Amino acid sequence: MDRGYVRYRILRLIVLLVGAVILIRLFTMQILSDEYDVKATNNIVRTEIEYPMRGEVLDRRGEYLVKSRVCYDVMVVYRQLPEEGFDTLRLASILEITPEYLEKQLKKARQSPRAAILVTNYLSQENKLLLDEGNFIGFHTRFRTAREYPRKIGGNLLGYVSEVTREQVDKWDYYESGDYIGVGGVESAYETLLRGEKGVSYRIYDSHGAVQGAYKDGEDDALPVKGAQLTSTIDARLQEFAEELMEGKIGALVAIEPSSGEILAMVSSPSYNPDLMVGRNRNNNYASMLHDQRQPQFNRAVKAKYLPGSTFKLVQGLIGLQEGVLRSSQKYPCDMGYSYGRRKMACHAHNSPLDLRDAVAHSCNAYFCYVFRDMITNSKYGSVKEGVRVWNEYVYSFGFGRQLGTDLYGEGKGYVPTPEYYDRVYNNSWNWGSVLSCAIGQGELGCTPLQMANLAAIVANRGYYYIPHIIKHIEGRDSIDRKFYERHYTLVDSINFVPIVEGMWRGVNVAGTSGKARLEGLDVCGKTGTAENSGGADHSTFLSFAPKDNPKIAISVYIEHGGFGAAIALPIASLIEELYLTDTIKRPQMVEEVLNFKPNYSRNYDLKQQRYDEKRKSKK
Amino acid sequence: MLSDYNRNSYSSSRLLFGGVDMVALGIYIAIAVIGVLCVTSASYDPNTTNIFSMEHNYIKQLMWIGISWAMGTVVLLLDRRLFHMFAYPAYAFGILLLLAVLLFGKEINGAKAWFQFGSVRLQPVEFVKITTALMMARVMSDYAFNLNRLIDLIKVAAIILVPFIIIVLQNDTGSGLVLGAFLFVLYREGLTKYVYFPILFTIVLFIAAMMFSPVVIFVVLLFAFVLYSILRVGEVAGHVRFIAAVFLVALLLSLLTPLSGYVSLMIACGISAIALIVVALKTHTMMLLWPILMFVYAMVFVPTTDFLFSKLEPHQKNRILTFVGLVDDPKNTGYNVNQSQIAIGSGGMWGKGYMEGTQIQYDYVPEKHTDFIFCIVGEEWGFVGCCVVVALYIGLMLRLMRMGERIKEPFGRVYCYSVAAILLIHVMVNIGMTIGLMPVMGIPLPLMSYGGSSFVAFTLLIMIAIRLDASTSENDIYS
Repeated sequence: MDRGYVRYRILRLIVLLVGAVILIRLFTMQILSDEYDVKATNNIVRTEIEYPMRGEVLDRRGEYLVKSRVCYDVMVVYRQLPEEGFDTLRLASILEITPEYLEKQLKKARQSPRAAILVTNYLSQENKLLLDEGNFIGFHTRFRTAREYPRKIGGNLLGYVSEVTREQVDKWDYYESGDYIGVGGVESAYETLLRGEKGVSYRIYDSHGAVQGAYKDGEDDALPVKGAQLTSTIDARLQEFAEELMEGKIGALVAIEPSSGEILAMVSSPSYNPDLMVGRNRNNNYASMLHDQRQPQFNRAVKAKYLPGSTFKLVQGLIGLQEGVLRSSQKYPCDMGYSYGRRKMACHAHNSPLDLRDAVAHSCNAYFCYVFRDMITNSKYGSVKEGVRVWNEYVYSFGFGRQLGTDLYGEGKGYVPTPEYYDRVYNNSWNWGSVLSCAIGQGELGCTPLQMANLAAIVANRGYYYIPHIIKHIEGRDSIDRKFYERHYTLVDSINFVPIVEGMWRGVNVAGTSGKARLEGLDVCGKTGTAENSGGADHSTFLSFAPKDNPKIAISVYIEHGGFGAAIALPIASLIEELYLTDTIKRPQMVEEVLNFKPNYSRNYDLKQQRYDEKRKSKK
Repeated sequence: MLSDYNRNSYSSSRLLFGGVDMVALGIYIAIAVIGVLCVTSASYDPNTTNIFSMEHNYIKQLMWIGISWAMGTVVLLLDRRLFHMFAYPAYAFGILLLLAVLLFGKEINGAKAWFQFGSVRLQPVEFVKITTALMMARVMSDYAFNLNRLIDLIKVAAIILVPFIIIVLQNDTGSGLVLGAFLFVLYREGLTKYVYFPILFTIVLFIAAMMFSPVVIFVVLLFAFVLYSILRVGEVAGHVRFIAAVFLVALLLSLLTPLSGYVSLMIACGISAIALIVVALKTHTMMLLWPILMFVYAMVFVPTTDFLFSKLEPHQKNRILTFVGLVDDPKNTGYNVNQSQIAIGSGGMWGKGYMEGTQIQYDYVPEKHTDFIFCIVGEEWGFVGCCVVVALYIGLMLRLMRMGERIKEPFGRVYCYSVAAILLIHVMVNIGMTIGLMPVMGIPLPLMSYGGSSFVAFTLLIMIAIRLDASTSENDIYS
């Protein structure tokens, strides 16, 4: 073989080798690897989310508490902007933003020129039409809904809607960055119903950003599903009136329909206008609320742990009767208080001795000290410790010291001291005297306003309650959760409620601390409470239901540092009952009195705010 | 063989197709047809009112194919001696064209490589491939030409380098590198293989220089050399001592002088290399001389490359760096290649169907009708389509080489090999580029990429080869 032929064969081999290398590479790319298929799809397909209308919330009479209003996000795709520029001033005025802000957003969009970047949100429908007319190339809008509150009420009750956080996106599959989610209140508790289902469409785009059709002929697309409409148990008119009465006071009000557990009104004060949490000023409003030491966003009605004060005597009396340490005819003396050892639990001036009914009516401290002492020191338990344990069980059955299982967001547990707690605090050496302040609702007890209103409902029902709830109907469903239809009995028999109810009625209608709450022909029953505290004036609280038979409303009002129970909590509760039961207010002077009543917060909240502001200033 | 049979049957009467290699012609036509289909897919606009309008690329391409085939027919009718005769003037004319375009040409994509006549653009470099191939064939078929004689080697080198240098001056380096195809031809014509080792070594060093720092390359080479030496000499201790000495000198230099460790090591390696050459010469261990020289060459080449690289245009720099994988930049330089790989890779076994390729039809592949036309084959016809196209090209090359072997005299053989080699480089670089095996160089896929100059030039290139081959059989019969 000559050398030329050998070289011919070598060169032939090289040519074949080049072909082989190309084909092997093609084989790995086209057959073995999926990488390019995925990338090809990602190249052409863009997922477009269509947001559904968020569900609306009605009050119990069908009036809108929360409405959904159409608004638009304005998006820009930087690459599509015309090269010769456009009228930025006009666009800025249509979008109602400053030209500087527009420039800033466009600069941001330049970082990812192919993606749709948010320029601004909450564009109204009218301005959207202007934008469309203006034909600004590169800009498009995205349908969203914003919340609207016709009565501007129920800030904490309803919650608000906000953009999802990074953590929420990571936690739940449903949410993607930029989605909205309910925060607090009804919005949070019923988020999965209110939000509806996002629609999705997969569109094919060419490299210039123009739509070329539906991907897979739209077989994976889905239309958005509107969120469910909820009917609330709230009475909007009552709620508005209650918020008005609570204005300027710190505290909470909860009104329940005892026969169903439906919450008629629930106010945490200070409240805020829910409209503040919508729109472009949201962040500023939110921040200023965050710095407010009165904590307008803290839902006191379900979270705050308040001393129940004398209203708790109802529970003590009931337990005493049930445990047989007390008969309703039993009388105890009261000499301006109850002395034990070297200490004395003071009481105010009233007739003595009193039986149970009058002790409730007059709110005698000494009486319930006897009752409580007799109960926990009863020899049948073997020890005070065991006595307190039995007492605990009773108190829990009234819904204290635990969550009630409502549909309210962020429901607190309150606090009921246990023997273990006293062991810890008193280093295992304590007796009935150490616990005695619980007899009159002082000491370590902590109750949420909701729990106190529930107590009113229990007494109104003579021994049972329905779990309080705020939503009574869900669009498209026959019923709400069945737990809300069940009666929950306390450990106290119905018969034992009779003298307590009698006492509450006498306190209002015959002689007692609650006389101001009397409403002609409505048989109001009530119990005042005045909780002593270290922070300033006493807390004013009032617990009531009406009418005495077939009660329609049970209510608890708690005003921090409001003074005597009868001073402010009572008139507020009474006016709410009046409006709810009679549809009118015949005591304008009492409204005036309530509105003009301003508790003094200078020693607590105002001082705190002052210090906080100084601290912030010095930090800056 | 079928083709041989055909040859004989046609050659009895000298018609237009008399003696024409039907396999080569068939493959040529097949590729051209596939090419038009691809150009059509790349530029078809479903909204067009007149699908035969001269606006459309595929109509233009069809026109160029018509012109090419007319010219090809003329070529087939010419006497083969004309090619021999006109080799010198054609080459000279080609060089003149290149110079003219360098002076008066139009700059497109940074390369001043085009003549513009109205709407028609011409790229002379495409035709220079033909004239250079003819020139090579002419010179190398001279009586008494001997490749292993220095003067002849210089002649050949000059024929290649003169157009190469002008093309590089036009800033069209990619096209210039196509002239490297002639190394393939020279190998067939008997050029010593020792020319190829340094070339391969240089390519490897170049890529290495892009990827690693010089000091890494030196240390690797140093150890490779010592290992080779140990294997050849069969002694270990001396080599270990040698390595130790090199590093000791480097260490001392870096400690005692203000030089950096890197420079110290280079100096130490340099001293050791000189010492080794002296030793090798003295002891007549000539077998070590080659590796030592290669090492010294690397020591000069790598830093020089680094330096020259820094002088390159940014886009060239980026292309090379992207190819070597040092720059991963799918938005810019890597964008074309990235999109082209996505298009081809998503084709699967059977492809997405003609005109159904999403990446192509939705315009994600830039230059899809010219340099990246292979993407259309890859995406719309899948692996099967790619196999067919690659097989056609490889088949055409092998056929041309076979034709060259069959032509008994060197002129035809050198020419046919030249055509095969030019095709090889084009196909290798172009397809290689679309699938990420090669850096981006703007050279077309022969007979498929849209473009008149290229299509006409490749047609002429191949037709001349077919004509020369047909003549041979003629001679066989009549002589």
